[in-house]
Amino acid sequence: MEIDETALSGLIEESQDTHADALRSAKGPLADMVDLGQQTRAGSALDPDENRAFAVENRRRLGSIARRAGGLLAATGVIAAIADYIGSPAFAASGTDVQVLQTASSIEVLAVSTYKTALGLPYIGGSSANPVIKAFATTTMGQHADHLAAFQSATTSLGGTKQTKPDPAFVPVADKAVAAITKAPASQGALLVVALALELENIAAETYVNNMSLLTNASAKKLTASIMGVEAQHVAILLAVQALLKAGDAADITLPPPVAKLPAAAGAVGFPNAFYPTTNAAPASQGAL
Amino acid sequence: MSANDPLSHLSEAQLLAMTADLDAMHHDVALPALTDSLAEWTDDIRSQGDGGRDADADRQLQFDRRRFLTRAAGTAGGIAGVALLAACSSSSSSSTSAASSSSASASASASAMATGTAAGTAMGEGQMLSGDLQVVAMAASLENSGIATYMAGIKAATAGKLGTVPPAVVTFAETAMAQHQDHQKAWNAVLTAAGKQPVTATDPVIQPTINAALAKVTNTTQLAELALLVENTAGQTYQNGLSVITSAAGIKTAASIQPVEFQHAAILYYVLGKYPVPNAFTGVSLARPPSDYHT
Repeated sequence: MEIDETALSGLIEESQDTHADALRSAKGPLADMVDLGQQTRAGSALDPDENRAFAVENRRRLGSIARRAGGLLAATGVIAAIADYIGSPAFAASGTDVQVLQTASSIEVLAVSTYKTALGLPYIGGSSANPVIKAFATTTMGQHADHLAAFQSATTSLGGTKQTKPDPAFVPVADKAVAAITKAPASQGALLVVALALELENIAAETYVNNMSLLTNASAKKLTASIMGVEAQHVAILLAVQALLKAGDAADITLPPPVAKLPAAAGAVGFPNAFYPTTNAAPASQGAL
Repeated sequence: MSANDPLSHLSEAQLLAMTADLDAMHHDVALPALTDSLAEWTDDIRSQGDGGRDADADRQLQFDRRRFLTRAAGTAGGIAGVALLAACSSSSSSSTSAASSSSASASASASAMATGTAAGTAMGEGQMLSGDLQVVAMAASLENSGIATYMAGIKAATAGKLGTVPPAVVTFAETAMAQHQDHQKAWNAVLTAAGKQPVTATDPVIQPTINAALAKVTNTTQLAELALLVENTAGQTYQNGLSVITSAAGIKTAASIQPVEFQHAAILYYVLGKYPVPNAFTGVSLARPPSDYHT
C-alpha cells in the first residue's frame, strides 16, 4: 500500500489550517444570531399559527418520504416512528427556526457518535485500518462536532434549548446497523460502516438542503448553507470509497489515488445527481425539543 | 485481487451498473422535484415583477474583487493560480475595466468559441434584469464558464496537448460538464419562463482570467487545479446566492445545485492528492456578485 503517512499528516494539518479560516467565517452568522436571539428573548413570543403550519408541512413531507424512501429508512419501519414523534405533544413547542436547528443538531449528534463507534473498530480506527479511511473518519467526526457546536450555538442564540441527543427516529436505524457491523468480519464490516456513514451523511445533506427554504433567520440560513455542501462532499468521498471496497480494491484507497489505474466509470461515481435531492430529508422538526 | 495487478482492478461493468442505478435515481427523483421548484419560482417572479424584489442584490454581498484575486492565488496553486492572479491583476479592479476586457473578449468571440471558451456581450447579456433574475442570469453565465472550462480541457486532452489523460479523469470532466449543462438549463428555464433571453455567454468578468489560465495548462494536474477553482467559485457563489434570492422556490433551486459543485470540488481535491473535504464550513470569499451579469 503506497501511503506516505507523513505527507498525509501534513495534508491534514494543512486542511485544519484552512478549516480554521472557514470556522472564522462561520462566526459571522453566529454573532448575528446572538444579537437576534437577545432580541427574541427580550420580546417576541412564538407564533402558534406559524408552528401549526410548520407541523402540517412536516407531516406532508413525512407522507412524501413514506412513499418514496428507500434504503435503511424504509427497511426498518422508521417512518412509523417519525409519525409517532411528530404527533407527540413535544412537537412544535419551539419556533420553527429553533426546531430546524435542533433537528440539525440531533443529526450531528448521531453522526459524531457513529463515527466514534466506527473508529473503535480495528479495521477503521485501529492499527489494521487503511490510513486514509482512518484519517477520513477522524477528520469527518471532527467536522461533524464543529457542525454540532455551530447548530447548538445558533439554537441558543435564537432563544432555544440546545439539542444534545441524537435524532430519535434514526437511533434505532443506527443501532441496528452498528449491531450488524460488530458481528461482521472485517472484510464485510468496512462496507457496512461505509453504508451507514453514507446513509447518515445523505440524510444530513438532504435535510439541510431542504431546510434552506424553511429557515427564516438569515444567519441560520447562512450557517446551514455553509454546512450542507460539506456533508455532500463527505457523501462524494464515501461513494468513491464504497466503489473501491465493493470491487475488492481497498488497497487503492490512497491519497493521492492511483488515478491512472482507475476505470473510466470511477470518475463519476462520487456525484450521481446534477441536482441534490431531498427525498430522504428528515422532517425539519423531527429532532426538536 | 491485488493492487499490483492492474488487470484485476475495479470492475468497469460493476461501476457502470452502479452509475446507471444512480443516474436512474437522479432522473426519477431529483429532476421532477427541481421542475416543481423552477415552476414555482417562475410564478414568484411573475407575481413580483421582473426583478422579483426591489432591493439591489449587490447590497447584500460583501464581495470584493481583490478577495477573489487573493483567494484565487491561494486556492488554485501552481500555474493555474498564478495565471489567474496575473491575469486579474493586470486588469483594473474596476468593473469598467472588467467590462472593457469582456468587450475585447467579445470581439474575439469567434476564436474563443472555436476553443470552447465562449465569450461575449450578446448571448443573453445586456438585459435589464434586477433582483432574483439578475442572480439567475449571473448563475447561468457562471455555469457557461464552467462548461467552457471543461470543454476546453476535453478538447485539449483529445488533441493530445495534456499528455496521457487517465480515463477516469475524462469521465469526471464529461460528467461534471454535463451536470453544469443541466444547471445552466435550469437557470435559463427561469429566465425564459419570465420572458427573458437565456444567457449563453460566459461570465464576462472571470472568463478572460480563466482563458488566460487555460492557455498555459499543459497537463491534467494543472487543468484539475483550474477546474477546482471554478467549482469552488460556483459553489460559493450559490451559497452566497442563498442569502440574496428572495423566492423560496429560488432558494430550493440554488440549494439543490450548491452541494453538487462542492462534490465536484471534493473529487478534484482527491485526484490532486489533497485532503478532499478541507473545511468543516464552506465559505463565500470566492462568490461572484450578481453584477457579473452586465445589464
